[in-house]
Amino acid sequence: MLIIKLALRNILRNRRRSVLTVLSMGGGYFMLSFMLSMTEGSYSNIIDLFTQDHTGHVQVHKGNYLDRPSLFKSIEHSSELIDSIKKNPQVTGVTARIYGPSLAYGKNKTFPANVIGINPLLESETTFLKEKVKQGVYLSSAITANGYFPAMMGKTLAKNLHLDIGDELVLISQGVDGSIANDVFEVVAIVGTPESFERMNVYLSLDAMRQFLSMGDQVHELAISLKHQSLARQFSKQLQKTYTQSDLRVEPWQQVEEVFYKSMQADLKGNYVSMGIIIFIVSIGVLNTVLMGTLERTREFGVLKAIGTQPMAIFKLIMLESFFLSVISCLLGLVFALPVNYWLTVVGITMPEPIDMGGVLFESMLGEISWFTMGVPALVVVSSTLLVSLFPGFKAARISPLQALQAV
Amino acid sequence: MRGCFLSCFLTLLIFAFSTTVNADVYVDTEAVALLKKIDELYRSDNSVSTMKMQIVTPNWNRTLQLQSWTIGMDDTFIRILSPKKDRGVATLKKDREMWNYFPKINKVIKVPPSMMMGAWMGSDFTNDDLVREVSLVEDYHVEKREQGSQYQLILTPKPDTVTVWARIDVIVEKEGLLPVEQSYFNEKGEKVRSMYFSNVREFSGKKIPAKMSMVPLNKKGHKTVVEYVELEFNTHFSDDVFTLRNLQKRVK
Repeated sequence: MLIIKLALRNILRNRRRSVLTVLSMGGGYFMLSFMLSMTEGSYSNIIDLFTQDHTGHVQVHKGNYLDRPSLFKSIEHSSELIDSIKKNPQVTGVTARIYGPSLAYGKNKTFPANVIGINPLLESETTFLKEKVKQGVYLSSAITANGYFPAMMGKTLAKNLHLDIGDELVLISQGVDGSIANDVFEVVAIVGTPESFERMNVYLSLDAMRQFLSMGDQVHELAISLKHQSLARQFSKQLQKTYTQSDLRVEPWQQVEEVFYKSMQADLKGNYVSMGIIIFIVSIGVLNTVLMGTLERTREFGVLKAIGTQPMAIFKLIMLESFFLSVISCLLGLVFALPVNYWLTVVGITMPEPIDMGGVLFESMLGEISWFTMGVPALVVVSSTLLVSLFPGFKAARISPLQALQAV
Repeated sequence: MRGCFLSCFLTLLIFAFSTTVNADVYVDTEAVALLKKIDELYRSDNSVSTMKMQIVTPNWNRTLQLQSWTIGMDDTFIRILSPKKDRGVATLKKDREMWNYFPKINKVIKVPPSMMMGAWMGSDFTNDDLVREVSLVEDYHVEKREQGSQYQLILTPKPDTVTVWARIDVIVEKEGLLPVEQSYFNEKGEKVRSMYFSNVREFSGKKIPAKMSMVPLNKKGHKTVVEYVELEFNTHFSDDVFTLRNLQKRVK
């Protein structure tokens, strides 16, 4: 108790030194939390953009469809599955898809196209597809005025085939019954940009796709979007447990988009290295101030020792002083970091040139406020302060009263 | 000792070589005549037929009704009558070229020579089987063996024949001289697929097996059965059948 009182008195006695120390450590806290907030926020933002572009947070397939797609690895009773998945409060959208690689005919040209059958309404609830319509109107299940099923095309494919809105698109593929699937569709919309994921895609409604491929009620993929991308792993594990009977596999986006996830992880590790360097620089600064603070007070410690203070008490005194100082610094840093991080989270820094991440445009750097981005820097500042105080603490505790009193 | 072995080996080699040369020169006229009969079994000078094709796979089953016209060995025209979805889809083979027509998209697609061994409309018959571009007599050497009440014809391709089969075995019933089984072997000597003939019926005074089942041995659960419902030989029809214009004719 006495030591705590002494430590507080010591801090308050030399206010200028204390303020300088607090400023240096508070600055360290501010920088750390700012950096953490930026990286976490940006990554979370990129992942959100990426997964909501077309992947969704969790996907369901039949067997090893993901590794070896086949027309026949299809999910039965999809509408019942969708209904049961929707009941989970974490789920914000579920959509079903049918894939059928085809040959697309334009006016005089042919190109391979990735034809995807979607439920227009459910897809717009789950991914950004509807927002990516650049020309024309979003897909519907109804037949157009010319008696054809409507189709949406990727920008590049439409350009390659010289097709525009209202033109006829001919598709040829392999039907589920072994027949040669062939039909005419009317282009109602052009989606995305020449760089985006869907540049070579054709979107049909599920009904049109089923007629085209002579399919029944089956689908190839269910894509689920959740309230937050970090729920994906947990959610997919839970959902997998309910599918013990049928050969259905539930995979979070980390598995579906493995390449993206791994490159993201590698990038994140690089960021942690640079953060480690910041922590190191801040710690050196703290070491400097604490060391100076003890050296300055050599005579004081000499007196304390001379009147019979235990070395352990002096060590505790110095550690306590550092601890109080670091806690005050964190609070000060928090006062500055909170509004800045809040602004980052809400507004963000708009990039002069948007960065293209796998077809997803990344336009602004966003921050994130969480226990992780605000708590970890505090933990780092306090623990590094205590660590660097060990050395001056030992030094002061082991001082000889005679030499200390003789020191200038 | 070693020299002796070598000379023995050499004589053996020369002997073996001379016998193969002999086999090349020797032509079994009786076997060739039999093969020619089999070649033209379903053809004659010309033919018009209606057939049913049943395709069985582990994933789906499907039955097609086809109508076909042929002249000699060169020209074939096939049109699908049912199911409704595929009605009007037609195939024309003229000399060495082949086209498919899809009425729904109104497009004629030429089948390139490289696709000749591809499946015809998802069946186990290749495009090549269906239009019978290959004339067995012209392209294969034939050797005849007797096995009880059956003849076995062993066909090996002639040096300049372009084919994927290293050997074709045809088993023919001595009585009636009709084929029972035709097996295809790949270059490794493995049997890849077999065609079984059954249901001998008389069409236009000619007795032929009306049912043919093609069973690929490397694809489990796959089978295609073709059955002739009607078959008429040496009738009269216009040459216009074998034109691209006829190919694109829409059937109601």
